[in-house]
Amino acid sequence: MAHWFAYCFGEALASLWRQKVSVILSVLTIGAALLVLGGFLLVTVNLERAVSRWSAAAEFSVYLSDDISPEQRVALNMLLGSHPAVASREYVSKADAALRFRRDFPDLAAGLADMPQNPLPASIEVRLNPARADGATLEAFAKQLMQTAGVADVRFDRRWLERLGQLASIVRWAGWILGAVLLVASVLTVATVVRLALHARRDEVDIMQLMGAPIGLLRGPLVVEGILQGGAGSLVALVALYAGFVLVRGRILSVLGPAFEQAAVGFLPAGLSALLVLVGMAVGCAGGYLAARHVR
Amino acid sequence: MYGRGIYALRDVSLVVEKGEFVFLTGPSGAGKSTLLRLLLRQELPTEGTVRVAGRDLAKLTPSQAQSYRRAVGFVFQDFKLIPSKTVLDNVGLVPRVLGATSVQQQRRTFQVLKWLGLQHRMSAYPLELSGGEQQRVAIARALVNEPALILADEPTGNLDPDLSLEIMNLLRDINARGTTVLVATHNRELMRHVGRRSITLDHGHLVETA
Repeated sequence: MAHWFAYCFGEALASLWRQKVSVILSVLTIGAALLVLGGFLLVTVNLERAVSRWSAAAEFSVYLSDDISPEQRVALNMLLGSHPAVASREYVSKADAALRFRRDFPDLAAGLADMPQNPLPASIEVRLNPARADGATLEAFAKQLMQTAGVADVRFDRRWLERLGQLASIVRWAGWILGAVLLVASVLTVATVVRLALHARRDEVDIMQLMGAPIGLLRGPLVVEGILQGGAGSLVALVALYAGFVLVRGRILSVLGPAFEQAAVGFLPAGLSALLVLVGMAVGCAGGYLAARHVR
Repeated sequence: MYGRGIYALRDVSLVVEKGEFVFLTGPSGAGKSTLLRLLLRQELPTEGTVRVAGRDLAKLTPSQAQSYRRAVGFVFQDFKLIPSKTVLDNVGLVPRVLGATSVQQQRRTFQVLKWLGLQHRMSAYPLELSGGEQQRVAIARALVNEPALILADEPTGNLDPDLSLEIMNLLRDINARGTTVLVATHNRELMRHVGRRSITLDHGHLVETA
């Protein structure tokens, strides 16, 4: 078996070297297809990362009526404390709310001071447990809180995160569909290049057949040739993707500012990068096999 | 039979005994090469049967056909050597890739190359060799698996008279060791020199056995 593999690799490398120009074009085609796919994956992964981070930090703000009674406050605290989606909660008094307002909006602070009394309500900021806080549960919990005595309003910033999550999903599917179309084109390109190689080696293959070489020995080098082209194409795509990522990352951070933290924007994880290489090799393998089927 | 009702061979019935040396002769287009192609199982007969060692070649599975070809030596006028492979690879490539790396196999390859006077040309490529050397490499390749049958299609067609005689003597020596040899040739002088049974074909018909 080792001889078999060594032979297939040796022949494939020699063939790739013989037709360098068409091989380079084929590798670039695969690289372009995987770059598109990888680009979509990169955007999706970062959107999902952001959604995940923001989800972890997501919270309810439960605004209290000014006339909430101590009993109503105890009942509200008990309700919040017993819900599995609640990770922690913090009471923000009217005075604390005014302090925060003056700190966050110093230009408007004077207006607040002119008012006869502090208009900002007291609130309870509820930090959520992302593992237990699915959309339907939170929706129901928000409604329940709204109907609780002593509660003036509930601000729930989960909905736009869900929309962002859906957007990430759409981007990912768009990437897979566009990537799949380009990958099919890549399979055909590899098949054409490998068929050209087969054509150049036709006499050799005929002689090998006369020598009684098994079909696997004749097809093997062609399939390996495809796999090597696919692997090279995927590495080209990964390098180009990383270079593009490094170039664009700074700009994205400066445009989106504090919404995206430096650490939150990252390159494809190792598993996805390996998957991209495997996809490239599979594309090459399919192209090589399509060409090799002509050897009978 | 080829398309449009043209017969390459018709009503040909012949038996070659084990260990025989037989010439196939006749004018161009007589069907000599077709007969050899049938024996190499490069083509299958549209009618009738071709049997080698009792086996109907048309009934072989693809893997049996590959095994059969590995057991038959072939020599062609245009040598059919792989230009990108060395002499050693041309002779021993398929057995080696198939895992026959035993000392015996290697020894056999060296023995055959030495017997044919090619031991000093093992690393050379076919295009670096003379026509006679290339044909000897082709014969070495045919011999390396110790075949029971060697098929040679105009093996001296590209060689000068001295080299032709040398190659024919080689084939005769191979036959003397027990291998059945079937040689298609136009060269009547060589046939006379070797002096074995000859079968003459003309327009696809067997016309004479002498």
